[in-house]
Amino acid sequence: MLDVATVLQQHKSSPPNILATLQKIQEAIGYVPRGKIPEIAAALGVTDSDVAGVLSFYHDLRTHPPGRHILRFCLGDSCLATHCEKSLAVLEEKLGCKLSGVSRDKRFTLEKVYCLGNCALSPSLMIDDKVHGRFTPKNVATILRDYR
Amino acid sequence: MKVYISDDSSARAVGADRVAAAFGRIKDAEVIRTSARGAFFLEPLVEIDTSRGRAGYPNVQPSQVPALLKKEPALISKIPFFSKQTRFTFANAGVTEPLSIEQYGFKALKKARGMDPLKILDEMKKSNLRGRGGAAFPAGVKWQTTREADGEPKYVVANADEGDPGAYSDRMIIEGDPYRLIEGMAICAHAVGAKKGYVYIRGEYPAGISKMRNAIAHAADAGILDHAFFELEIFVGSGAYICGEETALLESLEGKRGMVRSKPPFPAVQGLWQKPTVINNVVTFATVPDIILRGGDWHSSLGTEKSKGTMPLQLAGQIRQGGLVEVPFGITLEEVIENFGGGMPRGSRFKAVQVGGPLGSIFPKSLLKTRICFDEFAGAGGILGHGGIVVYDDQTDMADLARHFMEFTADESCGKCTPCRIGSMRAKEILENICKGHGTEKDLALLDELGDTMKLGSLCALGGLAPMPVQTAIRYFGKEFRR
Repeated sequence: MLDVATVLQQHKSSPPNILATLQKIQEAIGYVPRGKIPEIAAALGVTDSDVAGVLSFYHDLRTHPPGRHILRFCLGDSCLATHCEKSLAVLEEKLGCKLSGVSRDKRFTLEKVYCLGNCALSPSLMIDDKVHGRFTPKNVATILRDYR
Repeated sequence: MKVYISDDSSARAVGADRVAAAFGRIKDAEVIRTSARGAFFLEPLVEIDTSRGRAGYPNVQPSQVPALLKKEPALISKIPFFSKQTRFTFANAGVTEPLSIEQYGFKALKKARGMDPLKILDEMKKSNLRGRGGAAFPAGVKWQTTREADGEPKYVVANADEGDPGAYSDRMIIEGDPYRLIEGMAICAHAVGAKKGYVYIRGEYPAGISKMRNAIAHAADAGILDHAFFELEIFVGSGAYICGEETALLESLEGKRGMVRSKPPFPAVQGLWQKPTVINNVVTFATVPDIILRGGDWHSSLGTEKSKGTMPLQLAGQIRQGGLVEVPFGITLEEVIENFGGGMPRGSRFKAVQVGGPLGSIFPKSLLKTRICFDEFAGAGGILGHGGIVVYDDQTDMADLARHFMEFTADESCGKCTPCRIGSMRAKEILENICKGHGTEKDLALLDELGDTMKLGSLCALGGLAPMPVQTAIRYFGKEFRR
């Protein structure tokens, strides 16, 4: 697995782009450890607070190791209109965690997302890069079966 | 036999891949993955060629393959959802393969590169095309400002940070017709004198990112994008709604926190790295090729007096037929919901509709006669925004919905200006209290005052419009806030 130093080595850009760098680190190791902020800042030639500021601003940047899959449950307007909360409650029960948590078995990180653009087939959720739609409280848990 | 199945992420969300795999196992069937028609209520939709054009089978399950081919398919052109539309910007939707340069053609770009840039600006101004991202600013004026602004190099940026919940027209273009966006941007670059462009795509659209990446690579290989003319790069967002605001987007593109800038200076004069930058929404750019091919007068002949052209409306929420509807401005909201949306699903009753995303006003039944155009919506106290239409049924708790909107704004505020940063948090707390049944008349008055402060004092449209759904929900469904 790639480490932070290698990613920093491989993705030098001028002028430095803090957000793109943090994205690359997360792509490589799954999250951006807060302890690596000084190393990242030094490599980019910016301050620690510049890096910390970008890291805390964006919802998708994580500072803790995620589960094996990222499950993003949509709480957009259309999903609320189709009463998605009931399905969310089923998932939270099944996974044993709330939004922003990691499931008991570490299989899933459960996150909320505001819109996946699947609004015509609400409610929606996304696991890793795949969108799932038009589920009900009854069948929502079956979606999890394909993810080990 | 050719079998056409959409490769769009919404179609795939309800099983299009499994259906395609089932056809893949049949001898003689050649599966072709196209873009989506936009009639998502019919997905997975399987189409075949007939002597009278494409015909389709709706809502196909893998288990029905191949037996369903014995049944008579419905001619696409005869399905009312399509036949009542006027499709230009979405003319290729469901028809072509997203990454086929041959099918796309790039005719408008060829024509534009032979035109004087000033003539392109003329056509754009004549077209009266107003930005489709929400602010409805005249695109031709914006382009001209960048052309005339001092500073080199100049940039062209596409805003594909389609964050409005309830909207998906940008997603359909970047996934289904990416060359149309590339072409619109390249024409703009020629008109304003830019050589470099960026497509800023939200991270929630991985399929769109990958399609766009491939499209840019193919266009570069074919010599359509070239450093001598125009080069394009993709930048991916990281889950911040505010980055759909143009100045926050530019900050984010520079790798910083997505904090809104004070305007002026406008991006057209000082944008990316303080250089003149045209930043337009995806649909705006995607409308440009038709304006070049058919002329600005053609575009301004469609629509209403001040809202010219067509608008892709995106139906969502509690509605029978969710999907994308491209029609000239001027149709009423009721016609869209009834004639295209097919009304409410069985067992649910209409309560309210919200147009323009989470910052759009809540309209009750009495406002359904409002015509889809910028002026009438403003007159009715709403916004058209990016054209997302979400229908709510009578099971919706309006106070809880209002609480959700303020929670959304509190989550997504960039924090630069106080009215939005503090106002959204306080409004959320008041609404939480109201939802618990502890609200008073004083709370409602305070909420209203807070809303006015946000509207008047916020730097950008997030804080400026966030009170709209809350105030309109209270105006039309006040009883539910007094519990």
